[in-house]
Amino acid sequence: MALFPINLKDFFSLEKPEPLSGEELQTIFQNRYQLFRRLLTANNNALQAMAELERMYYGNSSYRMAEINSKITAIQINVYKMVNSLLEMAEGKYTGLETILDQISHSLEPILNQKPERQQGPFIMPLSEVSLEERELVGEKMARLGEVGRLGLPIPTGFILTASATQEFLNTELIDEINRQLQIIDPENLDGLYAGCHTMQELVRDTAIPSSLMEEIYASFDLFFKKDQKIATRSSALGEDSAGVSFAGLYATVLNVGRKELAAGIREVIASKYCPRAIAYRRRRGYRHVDIEMCVGCVAMVNAAVSGVLYTRNPNATQEDKGEEMRCNAVEGIGRGVVDGTRDADLYILRQEPFSVMERRLTGEHPLLKEAQLQELSAAGRKLEKHFAAPQDVEWSFDHDGHLFILQSRPLQMQEHHEVVETGNNHPAAPLYHGGITASDGACCGRLVRVDKAKQAGAFPADAILYVEYPLPEWAPLLNRAAGIFSSGGNEAGHLATVSREFGIPALFGCGDVWKKLEEKHATEGEFTLDATARSIYPGRDEIALRRQHVMPSPMTGSPVQLILSEALQLITPLNLNDPDSIRFKSTFCETLHDITRFCHEKSVVVMFNFGNSHHFPQAAAKRLTADVPLEWWVINLADGLREGIGKEKKTVSIEDVVSVPMLAIWRGIAAFPWEGPPPVSIRGLGSIIFQSTMRPELSPDVAATKLNARNFFLISKYFCNLGVRLGYHYAMIEAWLSELRTESYLTFRFKGGAADMQRKAVRARLLADILERWDFSVELRGDALLARIKKMPMDFLEDRLMILGYLSLHARQLDMVMDRGETVEKYRQKFLREIDEMLAREKMKKETNNEKDSPRR
Amino acid sequence: MKKILLVDDEQEFREISGKFLAHRGFDTLQADGCATALDLLAKEANNVDVIIMDVSMPGKDGIACMAEVKATWPQLEVIILTGHASLSVSITGMKQGAFDYCMKPVDYDELLEKIALAREKAAREELTSESIE
Repeated sequence: MALFPINLKDFFSLEKPEPLSGEELQTIFQNRYQLFRRLLTANNNALQAMAELERMYYGNSSYRMAEINSKITAIQINVYKMVNSLLEMAEGKYTGLETILDQISHSLEPILNQKPERQQGPFIMPLSEVSLEERELVGEKMARLGEVGRLGLPIPTGFILTASATQEFLNTELIDEINRQLQIIDPENLDGLYAGCHTMQELVRDTAIPSSLMEEIYASFDLFFKKDQKIATRSSALGEDSAGVSFAGLYATVLNVGRKELAAGIREVIASKYCPRAIAYRRRRGYRHVDIEMCVGCVAMVNAAVSGVLYTRNPNATQEDKGEEMRCNAVEGIGRGVVDGTRDADLYILRQEPFSVMERRLTGEHPLLKEAQLQELSAAGRKLEKHFAAPQDVEWSFDHDGHLFILQSRPLQMQEHHEVVETGNNHPAAPLYHGGITASDGACCGRLVRVDKAKQAGAFPADAILYVEYPLPEWAPLLNRAAGIFSSGGNEAGHLATVSREFGIPALFGCGDVWKKLEEKHATEGEFTLDATARSIYPGRDEIALRRQHVMPSPMTGSPVQLILSEALQLITPLNLNDPDSIRFKSTFCETLHDITRFCHEKSVVVMFNFGNSHHFPQAAAKRLTADVPLEWWVINLADGLREGIGKEKKTVSIEDVVSVPMLAIWRGIAAFPWEGPPPVSIRGLGSIIFQSTMRPELSPDVAATKLNARNFFLISKYFCNLGVRLGYHYAMIEAWLSELRTESYLTFRFKGGAADMQRKAVRARLLADILERWDFSVELRGDALLARIKKMPMDFLEDRLMILGYLSLHARQLDMVMDRGETVEKYRQKFLREIDEMLAREKMKKETNNEKDSPRR
Repeated sequence: MKKILLVDDEQEFREISGKFLAHRGFDTLQADGCATALDLLAKEANNVDVIIMDVSMPGKDGIACMAEVKATWPQLEVIILTGHASLSVSITGMKQGAFDYCMKPVDYDELLEKIALAREKAAREELTSESIE
């Protein structure tokens, strides 16, 4: 490499090398130092991207494949930079690392690019011949409907266009253009989302179905229906079989489709895969577009007299009633008004066993359903629940002859139970509004924002409470942002109610003229609390109601995207190379990208450290720091970290010889208060250490003695410092690069280990995390391992934080042994906070005094 | 100070980036593809130290173009630009000698930081090769 004009291998040979001039050595060292810096920056970037990936995986928010890909690419590139830098620094050693990195990259590729395997089958299948076994051919909805028919329950006749037929229709050119559009859509930008979806849907609507396929479809129509029969084309998607994922109301159903409109009706359903609500929903729940394939059910229209939705349990049930009542919503004619929330519906609450009608909430003078019909529905519901082994959400119709048809049966989204909060007279604040129907339990706080048109959706702010006139499924993309939702129309059985329950968003529907009432009270500005469970809206932030806030599991749980990330993480984040002193700390034992970063970091430090000894280059060799502070401190001056004129042969330095800005800051923290010695340890604490030493041979007193006496190295330049501290059984590392270029500045703190059991070590890590978070650090905590960092901040800001780290590195040592009692933890928390405040105040005063001295006299 | 060569078939990107870099005190040359870039370098290679190159371009893509540039002018540092669709290409690019990569849409703070580091490396190598001579 051009970087090394002199063959450094000569220097490692046993023969005494030719002496080099100071300038030649300086050049070699500077090159190596630059590589070291590049390696450290790459290490920092790789670890940060790994932490972000883990935060995505373990967090409660949604993420996309694009984000996973970009983070994994960033990790691979930074690990590649580290390997490259180390190979240059170490001259011919560790070449096996490149192969290991390649192997891991090759293993990651098929994980990240995996596609669901699709079963090939006929283009068309009769509804009467399908069951759950055919779900991979005909989609979840139609497979379940076929299954309902097999139970002996009445379903409409019809046939299904399978996934193979859809693939035949979506030719390469069309799907390439759709994929191009999908890549440029940002689901967070609702205006862009609506525009992009419109383009994609138009592409599908304008594409002709291949004639041979169309002939087959017409032949099936003629076989199943009379020429003038009206049918419904209904969506039935593949890949929707995850538990807890409803996909409710996402896709189109086209009603009253005649033979002439058949092609358009089919295309409309296929196009609905690309509608805004479906894309936003898939993004939130961790489904890629490729995971979903659309099939189309072509089923006879039922000449409906009454239709509706039956819940075989109460989805908002409290612990007491266990949701054993059935709830049936009914409207006259077809049921669309129930599921899209545009019509007021009769509500019947039924007891299952023995059957009885417990309550009727009617919209008109007479009930739409007779008791016999309710009983028939109840029996069908029980049968379905038993067969599918879960509460069901059933769409049904009675035709004008009184015959029942089941149109759909899917798992009912049950909501988690909440603390029951007393309302009414016990509640201190009077609600601004009370009424409506609880569609989804819980409470939230935010400002109220009314949305009437899709155009307004883009401006809907995050965490506001959404008001809409009707809870139409098209508002589903807003549920990704809304804290809660309420509406004038609608009921608990609509699609938006299902999605609200699934997302854990409080929803209060059917509130009538609520907006008018709020406006009359001039109460639409400011902050409000929506308590959907108590069916109330309160002014301001109502802490009593807000006890009902949801803590939802990750919406990505079990999704294809989460599974991909889970598989990929196994090759990225586990750390197998823990102990640099172990005989397994070799490049051949690197199994993950994290192992490679750890290995490269450790070896680069060794290479930098050995440089001075190998090259008789005293500036680079370690010098002992003479100071009245416990532990052995050594300084390796990488470049310009010591003042000029320090003798080459000088073996010790004092802190006055140091000009490294970050090291001086850390040292001010270390020296701020004298260390009080190890904390008093109880018998229990000692027992734990002895036990730990037995379990972990490296902690036995003989081995540990060397570790306790280990040297602690400052690697420094004027603006860089890397401090590795082995304090007893724990390891801390502080690394800082302070730069006028703010984007380059960073500060990292790692802390792990201890002699006590894991629980106490973790308590100490949590204590440190709390303190660091208070001082603006971004903190990752996993067990006893803590990673804290700050980036892109001004130098004086970072100097203060380095003082805090210096202070904590010394004073948190051996504390894990006494972290078994709450009051002890609190005692140390208060001590640390008090001393840090005092230390920073002293520093501030010192700076001000210096500034006064430096400023010219008046 | 030496110039930065921007190679991207998207005119809008070249214009915005050129203006941004000019505002930060950098002189730029611009090329709409590999052929133009090679022509410009044939005349001005000594005045350029860093190239910012999109990987997805019609005709010769950014990686192939970088290989040609590096074959003739190994001292030039190349920062490649990638979109989500071409992320794996950026790893190939790094292995083939790119100094670094940036994702599109570009975070200009990040780009500036990488330009500064690339310049530092280019200057160091120039110094090293001079010391050999």
